[in-house]
Amino acid sequence: MLLEARDITKAFGSFKAVDAASVTLQQGDVLGLIGPNGAGKSTFFNCLTGDLALTAGKVFLEGHDITNRPPEARARLGLARTFQVPQTFEGMTVLENVMIGAFLRTSHRAEAETKARAVLARVGMERLADAPARSLGTPGRKRLEIARALATEPRILLLDEAMAGLTQREVQLAIDLVRDIHRSGITLVIVEHIMEVIMSLASRVMVFHQGREIAHGTPQEVTSNPAVIAAYLGTRAAAKVAAGHTPIELMGGPAT
Amino acid sequence: MSIVLVQVIVGGLLLGAVYALFSSGLTLVWGMMNVVNFAHGDFVMLGMYVAYVVYTLLGGGPLLGAPLATLVLATLGIVVYFGLIRDVMKGPMLAQILGTFGLALLLRYSVFWWFGANFLSLPGDLVGGTFDVFGIRIEASRLLAGIVALLVTFGLHLLLTRTTLGSRMLAVAEDSTAAQLMGIRPDSMQAIAWAIAAGATGLAGALIATFFYVVPTVGETLGIVAFVTVSLGGFGSVPGALIAGLLIGVIESLSGYLIGAVYKDMVVYALFLGFLWFRPQGLMGKT
Amino acid sequence: MRRTFWLAIAIVLVVAYPWVFSTPFQQRLGALVLLYAIAASAWNIIGGYAGQVSVGHVVFFGCGAYAAMGAYTHFALSPLVGLPAGLVASVAIAAVIGVPTLRLSGHYFSMATIAVAELARLIVTNTDYLGAAVGLSGPTVPRNVFDLSFISALPYYYLFFAVLAVTLAITWWMTNSRMGFYLRAIRDSERAARSLGAPASRTKLYAYMLSAGLTSVAGALYAMMFGFVDPDSGLGLLISVKILIMAALGGAGLLFGPLVGAAILVPLEEISNSLLGGKGAGLTFVVYGAIIVLIARFQPGGILALINRLWAKRKTKQESKQGAADAS
Repeated sequence: MLLEARDITKAFGSFKAVDAASVTLQQGDVLGLIGPNGAGKSTFFNCLTGDLALTAGKVFLEGHDITNRPPEARARLGLARTFQVPQTFEGMTVLENVMIGAFLRTSHRAEAETKARAVLARVGMERLADAPARSLGTPGRKRLEIARALATEPRILLLDEAMAGLTQREVQLAIDLVRDIHRSGITLVIVEHIMEVIMSLASRVMVFHQGREIAHGTPQEVTSNPAVIAAYLGTRAAAKVAAGHTPIELMGGPAT
Repeated sequence: MSIVLVQVIVGGLLLGAVYALFSSGLTLVWGMMNVVNFAHGDFVMLGMYVAYVVYTLLGGGPLLGAPLATLVLATLGIVVYFGLIRDVMKGPMLAQILGTFGLALLLRYSVFWWFGANFLSLPGDLVGGTFDVFGIRIEASRLLAGIVALLVTFGLHLLLTRTTLGSRMLAVAEDSTAAQLMGIRPDSMQAIAWAIAAGATGLAGALIATFFYVVPTVGETLGIVAFVTVSLGGFGSVPGALIAGLLIGVIESLSGYLIGAVYKDMVVYALFLGFLWFRPQGLMGKT
Repeated sequence: MRRTFWLAIAIVLVVAYPWVFSTPFQQRLGALVLLYAIAASAWNIIGGYAGQVSVGHVVFFGCGAYAAMGAYTHFALSPLVGLPAGLVASVAIAAVIGVPTLRLSGHYFSMATIAVAELARLIVTNTDYLGAAVGLSGPTVPRNVFDLSFISALPYYYLFFAVLAVTLAITWWMTNSRMGFYLRAIRDSERAARSLGAPASRTKLYAYMLSAGLTSVAGALYAMMFGFVDPDSGLGLLISVKILIMAALGGAGLLFGPLVGAAILVPLEEISNSLLGGKGAGLTFVVYGAIIVLIARFQPGGILALINRLWAKRKTKQESKQGAADAS
């Protein structure tokens, strides 16, 4: 078992954003986290990365307890992430952004640069290497986030809505990139609103609603689960689904 | 407990109420827009000088001086918000700190240049007399300052928690984009917050001017006091500032009485640093 | 290539300055510019590159100055001997301030630095061993060359120049190392930097300690040149302000920013002081305050960043013109 989260609870005051959620991740998995806005999937995600301190529960990486390890220590252990709102280093070039990731495994500048260039080539951004990062648009920034994370040589990559705000075409390119990353042996956790992305990428899906896990299984299993449909679309729509409409279509739109 | 000690503690509480008043301005702005006003203490200083001018040059009493100082500082708060804060808020942290810190210097040394570096004192009979309560002597000026400060701080708390204006400001603090969608203009709310915060310093300045030392550099110490108060009370919390303010007032007068007046600022600074080491989330904050 | 050329020109100009402007006032002015440039460059490491605004840097300056004068007053040693002691003390103080505050938001750090500086000033003012309000003096008549007590400003000028060169070399080396990269990343987004494995608190702390140590060297040199230190000249808040404003005006986070800032502000202050006398001190700081506000509001990157931007704009304009010409 690569990663395990056991009974994670995160409360803000008296409000439990995540309530006793558990998950296990095997080498080679692509785990999708879905749920309506405010369901707790992002909070859960940030508990895994160490950005949020847990109220209760434990996180294990290959059996080692990493619950109290800060994000930088988790990065060293092979956990990398991207941010929903890209956290680009504005004052740097694209190459330098990626070098920050590469510096995790080497302290030599030249080595970091070589590696960063290789990663940029891999994500198809080598021509932009010397451009100021602040000149990038949303698709470029999202891709840069992935490149930076890859440069840390992760074993697990956590993508927080890496496709939000992209056009249909850009989403397709991003899916191809994620597939390629997965093929290279990296285990993935993806938070995504776009159902199509989850359907085509995830091997397993975990559905959140009001801070709790309400379903898990293969994409097909969860999207035909009545509880999931009810959570997404309300009970009336669930009845409609029962009457023969395809659930994925209904859930394909913005799931807000 | 000796009667003198009680007197010292009461004096500390009264002064602490004034600390609470101006600190609640700092905590309001900090909690609402994550901006720390490094000129906050100098705003108080400016309030003291406005009061000084009213009391000595215009011959008015606290009844004129206090409202006028409040008004002048509130206006300054609005000007500072639109002229500086609104823009530096969007910039890097460096700009934010530099901006208000530069403002502090500008105010401090403008007053220094105009009034000189000397300690000024106000006519002693401005708020005359002392009271004798169970053998404790309290100067009328301190009593007035303490009570008014306490009432106004409490009023501020009510304003923020019980009124429509308060909940609108809170909405902007929580999520300014969402507030905007609800038809609240974040700009106006933030400007009002600055007016209130600066107005509170003006009033506090006018209140303590009657018995405190009036000198251009007083704002530096008061600024640190406000910062200590806010970090003790938890940022954004007026009740927290009230309790912390009273506490610091008492600690300061006690240390002044027990180990000497020279050391009371030192005690406050050391206390602050101690808290940063051992309890950075403040007294009221959670871990 | 081109940068090496400009650097060579700049070095020649700095070396030649005291021979071209050779009156005692001008030479002293030049030495002061270099001295403040050392302190501001040291501040730049934590304030500019790491983006953590220290407002109490004078405490390290004072540490160096008091150690240098203390070595003479109490042990009859050369002030130079006190320098390493001040350096060690400064680095230790930086660790004490930095460990708790650099984990918190930058506001706490800034406020804590002010509190520490003021605390130090109050303590020293009330400590007889450190000369209390009067301060400590260095040798009035130099016993040998190691007392570093000269009448002419010229030896100081070259000494300061050498120290500045070392300071800038260290800064340059740092910016090209992993630490420098991490600092810039942390300044832009600490959260992202940490997610990529940058140990943010520790990196900032190292930068702060490095900055503190170099600042104390500036303080020691200052005391040697003036031959004394007292709470105002060694621990006054205004020294912190000067250091900070020079770096910010010239360009925080840029190698030569502090030098540019010092070259503008030191002459400005010296001239306004000699024109206005004692009363000018207040006015000088009114102007300083106004400058800081204006930088923060309109040009947080400082003068050098502005020049760089204009330069880049001109270059792209020329290039596009060139491109148009090629096309036709």
